[in-house]
Amino acid sequence: MAGETGPSMILEAMKEAGINFVTSLPDHNLAKLLEFVDKDPDLKHVPLCREEEGIGICAGAYMGGKTTAIIMQNGGFLNSCNALTTTALNFNIPIVLLIYYAGDIGDEGFSTLGSVTEPVLQGLGIRCYVLRKLEEIRATIKGATTLAIDSRRPVAVLLTKDVLGMRR
Amino acid sequence: MRRFDCLKAIAPLVGDALVITIGGGSATEWTHLRPGEGNLRSRTLGLVQSIALGLALALPKRQLLAIDGDGALLMNLCGLPTLAREKPSNLIYMVFDNGIYEASGLRKTATAEVADLIAVAKGAGIGEAVWVSSPEDFKSRVLESMRQRKFAFIGARVESGPEYVAEFRSLPRFDVSEVESAYRMMRYIEKTEGIRVVPLPGPRH
Repeated sequence: MAGETGPSMILEAMKEAGINFVTSLPDHNLAKLLEFVDKDPDLKHVPLCREEEGIGICAGAYMGGKTTAIIMQNGGFLNSCNALTTTALNFNIPIVLLIYYAGDIGDEGFSTLGSVTEPVLQGLGIRCYVLRKLEEIRATIKGATTLAIDSRRPVAVLLTKDVLGMRR
Repeated sequence: MRRFDCLKAIAPLVGDALVITIGGGSATEWTHLRPGEGNLRSRTLGLVQSIALGLALALPKRQLLAIDGDGALLMNLCGLPTLAREKPSNLIYMVFDNGIYEASGLRKTATAEVADLIAVAKGAGIGEAVWVSSPEDFKSRVLESMRQRKFAFIGARVESGPEYVAEFRSLPRFDVSEVESAYRMMRYIEKTEGIRVVPLPGPRH
């Protein structure tokens, strides 16, 4: 699978969904997507030092009229659980969580992280969709953004190696 | 130096600035001094700076004030380099350092013993970070930053303790919940900025 097709489709889907403000922390598997996000003049991109602050920054940007997403690894999602609970969920803030799914089926490494990701999302009451096929990128990201805005809650899309063009 | 005196010095001057305060004494005092829809209190320790940064970036023409405490800032030191990268000209970040977890049992924070928050901020890339020496000094820094529209990072070492806490606890209680204050602020932003924030409820029919 080509390394750029998935990430460029994800970026286009984000923009089509109306996302115009993005915070992020890198992962090897997110490198291409973040490169595209950083270069895109239509998106304000705030690189983070830790994921929890990104939830606060997205919350503030939403209150200022932006449609926001955070791009991070699932380890970073775990870092941001308190902010998701006491800020995003507490204040009814929609944020699209684009989470790289480390420890996914077929992976070597991070299996402990992979095993807790979906249960923790579920425990927080955050709806979660696993993205495995290129042809589902557009509808899933658009749908997740609509759901986040309508429910006024964060919604998670788990980005697998398959859609990030990193499955070997 | 007392936090209440610093806040009192700036409250009449901030106009329609949006103000994010950490929960506890700061929020109680600020809400008493400058009531209204332009205030939001956060109880997520560390996120005051982040919420204010997001708002400042989304609304570059609007003045933002962040009122934080030492215990809260210590929980999000990672946010300082992020703030340093952005330094929005419409954001004034203030940290009142009383050396204790004032709202959580009065135990010492690391600033009471070892850490210097302004030195940490400088090390993170915020060369503007400064300690003020009096409420008058505090007020003039805030005013200068507002007038010149430049980013500011202001620290004030303030007194606290059981008597001080008893004093702000005698102020009136909040009359709206945190959630309601968030919605009020969003509606206030809609009204004053001419934008839509809270989505229209669906479905259309």
